[in-house]
Amino acid sequence: MKRRQQVVTTLALISLAAIVPAALAPVHAQEVLKVGIIGQFTGPFAVSGEQYKQGLDSYLAQNGAMASGRKLELVYRDTGGPNPAQAKRLAEELLVRDKVSILGGLYLSPEAAAAAPAVNETKTPALLFNAASPSLMPASPFFVRMGQNISVPARLGAEWARSLGKARGYSVVGDYTPGHDTEAAFAEAFSAGGGQVVGKDRVPLNTVDFAPYAERIANADPDVLEVFIPPGAAAVSFIKALAARGLTQKILIIGQGEAEDSDLHLFDDSVIGFHSIIYYSSTVDSPENNAFKATLQQKFGAKVLPSTFTLGAYDALTLVHRMLEAQQDKGFDGKTAIESLRGFSWKSPRGPVTIDPATRELVQNFYIRRVEQKDGRLQNVVIKTLEGVKPPGVK
Amino acid sequence: MSTLAFVLLYGVSYGLLLCIISVGLVVTMGLMRVVNLAHGAFAAIGGYLAMGLLTPLGVPFGLAIVLAVVAVAAFSVVIERLLYVHLYGASELDQVLLTVGINFIVVAGLTLAFGPNVLPTRLPASLATSVDLGFRSFETYRLLVLGVGVVVIGALWLVFERTALGARLRAAVDNRSMTQAIGIDVSRLFSIAFALGSGLAALGGALGAPLLPLEPLYPFKYLVLVLVIVALSGFGNIRATLLVAVFVGIVDTAGRYFLPDSGSFTLYVLLIVLIVWRPDGLLARRARR
Repeated sequence: MKRRQQVVTTLALISLAAIVPAALAPVHAQEVLKVGIIGQFTGPFAVSGEQYKQGLDSYLAQNGAMASGRKLELVYRDTGGPNPAQAKRLAEELLVRDKVSILGGLYLSPEAAAAAPAVNETKTPALLFNAASPSLMPASPFFVRMGQNISVPARLGAEWARSLGKARGYSVVGDYTPGHDTEAAFAEAFSAGGGQVVGKDRVPLNTVDFAPYAERIANADPDVLEVFIPPGAAAVSFIKALAARGLTQKILIIGQGEAEDSDLHLFDDSVIGFHSIIYYSSTVDSPENNAFKATLQQKFGAKVLPSTFTLGAYDALTLVHRMLEAQQDKGFDGKTAIESLRGFSWKSPRGPVTIDPATRELVQNFYIRRVEQKDGRLQNVVIKTLEGVKPPGVK
Repeated sequence: MSTLAFVLLYGVSYGLLLCIISVGLVVTMGLMRVVNLAHGAFAAIGGYLAMGLLTPLGVPFGLAIVLAVVAVAAFSVVIERLLYVHLYGASELDQVLLTVGINFIVVAGLTLAFGPNVLPTRLPASLATSVDLGFRSFETYRLLVLGVGVVVIGALWLVFERTALGARLRAAVDNRSMTQAIGIDVSRLFSIAFALGSGLAALGGALGAPLLPLEPLYPFKYLVLVLVIVALSGFGNIRATLLVAVFVGIVDTAGRYFLPDSGSFTLYVLLIVLIVWRPDGLLARRARR
């Protein structure tokens, strides 16, 4: 018995001796740089997480995992639904235990806000794939926006509606921070342009039947409606309710990401005539966008279309490359990394983008689109491109 | 006047839909004393089945719903015989653990099979219109919900109050051991009632898909609404369920119309007040105390 134990121990030791150098060798050969990705990979907004992954994978498929001599390793963490407390905990875990050098993802603004203290403490660059509240950028000097400042499309919507002669504005927004920001930005720009805001509603996020809101809007008799509702079930139900009340055909409805190209198949024909103002359209005809779509569809199926979520994740890796390029052969330093992004311009699938040096907001194109039945399917048709739009605070 | 008409029409049609989904749980809970938190899962499966038959296979809307209801009812008997039998007489904790577990399995299964997004539902062209009621226009689809709701609840009430099966069911709700003692096969009654309840849930899920969008989290998302109605209805009381569901529909619609920002709370205020006032349900018979 004892001898057998000895044999086993010896064998174990021998195999360990064989494994250890083999395991250590690649670490010495190339330095690994970890990027932590926090997203909602399950739960009601799991689509956003799926699209984050698709965007990141598409970038890696095009450019490989090597960046300036370092090997990128993506570490995924799931908040399991809208959960700022969990996002905060996961950010701390990724930064302290997993020692990630860069953070990315963070779906909703409250989740990004919750991660801010950990990001500031560890001086880690954090790329916000989607979170859009204006209050986020002042919360951390290490945040960089990959999407938009939500007040921008609301302001553009108000200005566009005024230019079309619309005089009576109404806003319906989800009852959480970015919704409130949208409401305020729309009201300010619409009134400043000489229009009258005849109603504003904040819709609780647990709303099931949207008919009462459609009825309120119809009774207030506006000629333009600004909308900000989370994508998915709520957006589908709300747009259906508007159409059932005959509003889609009667007034100008301007949303943001409620009916993105990747989500259009969820709607029935009631969505026809819905307008959106958004910083990316999958129909943009540029070499960058065509290559992006080709890789995405080759990897995930011919029917898959990119959304702003897919794009935000994809572009984030461009910035990761930029940060590493700026400090080759040195230890990674968060402050230097952020400095290297200030004023950086690149050709994104969404069009030319510049990171504003002062605010870390993006100067980028916005697209005004209308849903139409075209070539036998629903499509967002770009009716106007607004080039190089500056977010508030950008000179 | 037009506001009142709006609140009534939309509130009642919404309430009747909630009634169709909830009434099955009221019956099975009254009969079996099992808190079936997986009730919404049967509604979701019914909805997914019907929409799967409707859109890709082109089965007519009505037939798709009927097939889905029958399939879910049959399937639920199997589940009842395999799983729920173990819950009769078990503690509430066991019941909650098992039925919530079933919910999780269904949510994961639906995500795996259909992805995390909402399932697209396209109404047949004939229903996606509006009818002119004289004083205002009204969605044809909601009119259908109203009609189906009245017929189904009416039929259910007739079965419950006027047939021998209904009498046996009522007897078992009131006093299970005495019912068994006089020679009524209560376990068969359980299966029938469970199939009926799940079938009604599937009907609500399928018919209601345009209003309550089908998504993997459906079993949890609408659980609160259903439980509000069940709690206010009391055990096995169909009349109370109808009353409560329509009331909930009207209060929710009116709350959101008049107080859009805080309208979602009116329902819960109502729930608290009613539970305190009538803890056994709105129309509970007080004589049994």
